[in-house]
Amino acid sequence: MTEPVKVLGISGSPRRHGNTETLLDAVLEGAREAGADVEKNVLRSLDYASCRGCNACHRTGVCVIQDDLTPVFEKIAAADVLVIASPIYSMGITAETKGLIDRAQYIWARKFILKTLYFTAGHTRRHKGIFVSTAGLGWENVFDAAFPAITAFFNTTGFEYWDNVIANDLDRYGGIAGHPTALAEGREKGREVVALLQKTQARGDTET
Amino acid sequence: MTIDVLAFATSPRRHGNSETLLDWVLDAMKGEGAAVEKIVVPEVDIRPCRGCNVCERLNRCVQRDYMDYIHDRIVAADCIILASPIYCMGLAAQAKVLVDRTQVFRSRKYVLRLPVVPPERKGKRVGIFLSTAGQNWDYVFDAAIPSVKCFFNVIDVRNRDIRYLMVNGVDEKGAISRHPTARVDAEALAGEVAAHLQEVRAI
Repeated sequence: MTEPVKVLGISGSPRRHGNTETLLDAVLEGAREAGADVEKNVLRSLDYASCRGCNACHRTGVCVIQDDLTPVFEKIAAADVLVIASPIYSMGITAETKGLIDRAQYIWARKFILKTLYFTAGHTRRHKGIFVSTAGLGWENVFDAAFPAITAFFNTTGFEYWDNVIANDLDRYGGIAGHPTALAEGREKGREVVALLQKTQARGDTET
Repeated sequence: MTIDVLAFATSPRRHGNSETLLDWVLDAMKGEGAAVEKIVVPEVDIRPCRGCNVCERLNRCVQRDYMDYIHDRIVAADCIILASPIYCMGLAAQAKVLVDRTQVFRSRKYVLRLPVVPPERKGKRVGIFLSTAGQNWDYVFDAAIPSVKCFFNVIDVRNRDIRYLMVNGVDEKGAISRHPTARVDAEALAGEVAAHLQEVRAI
């Protein structure tokens, strides 16, 4: 009997149960249907500081700040699937989401400065990242400036950036519930990623 | 008339590379006779935008914090400078808090269709984005720029009136002092902006 796939969803929206969190919920619901062990963390309910840029972690590999993000990073390390959700504010991810991402500097330091941490290709293949986002504007390029920070975060934390579940033009649709495909697509992606990892487990893929 | 310069140092590291770059610009601005105010964003109380959209009706933010003061200063200033290091391919979270809180201007401009600055001051404001990055990649600033343009757009600084000085490959504190051109570029930028503002304000 293998362990259930662990899926961690993190909502970086300041608004509870708004468009982004609803779309995240669809992904998590799909994952739950596929048999995953699912947990959701909501950043606005947590008390945490932004990275201080002190670079102490470059020497110690540990962040000097111990707050509500400390256990979140432990959960990230234990997850098989990481779903990061943020609405687009001013053409980027929210300040809350960026606050989380900047705090991953200590992991980056372990990998690239101290060289005490290394994610093999096999590890990265077995850990999938999904970015969930919504935007009021209909512009095609409205998510473009968000992707590089998300890419950096998944790279740092050892997840393959597997896919996006994104929906723009929500001002026109009157919110996520009015979008023709987003919620169904989110649910499907949630199911799909868990099925994929279950197959990997069943194959006994422990290759590095 | 004295040029009013409002500057935001958003780096959590005091007197690091992006703030040093900012100080060079501000010192040169002072040399041109400008009145300069620097706000150290991580040291003042600015909470993140709550996404409540109440500003779309109220024309002000529901949160009472230091942003009240900053709001009025943004309207009054002739030159607004945003200085941020690049963290994880974007603005530092501290800078993004400030940018997100300008939502009240976006509501004023695009929802309520009200002026941000009086008509006679339109096109007579300059924005400057100063940035530093540890990585040497030439595209390291790209993902920060759309948010910077948003910030200046909603506070009525036109795209053509935004200046950029972005220095990559400076990581350790003090590295910018060893950069071959950063200081000269900062001073030249300050001179150009001061001259430009004197000119457009005389019209």
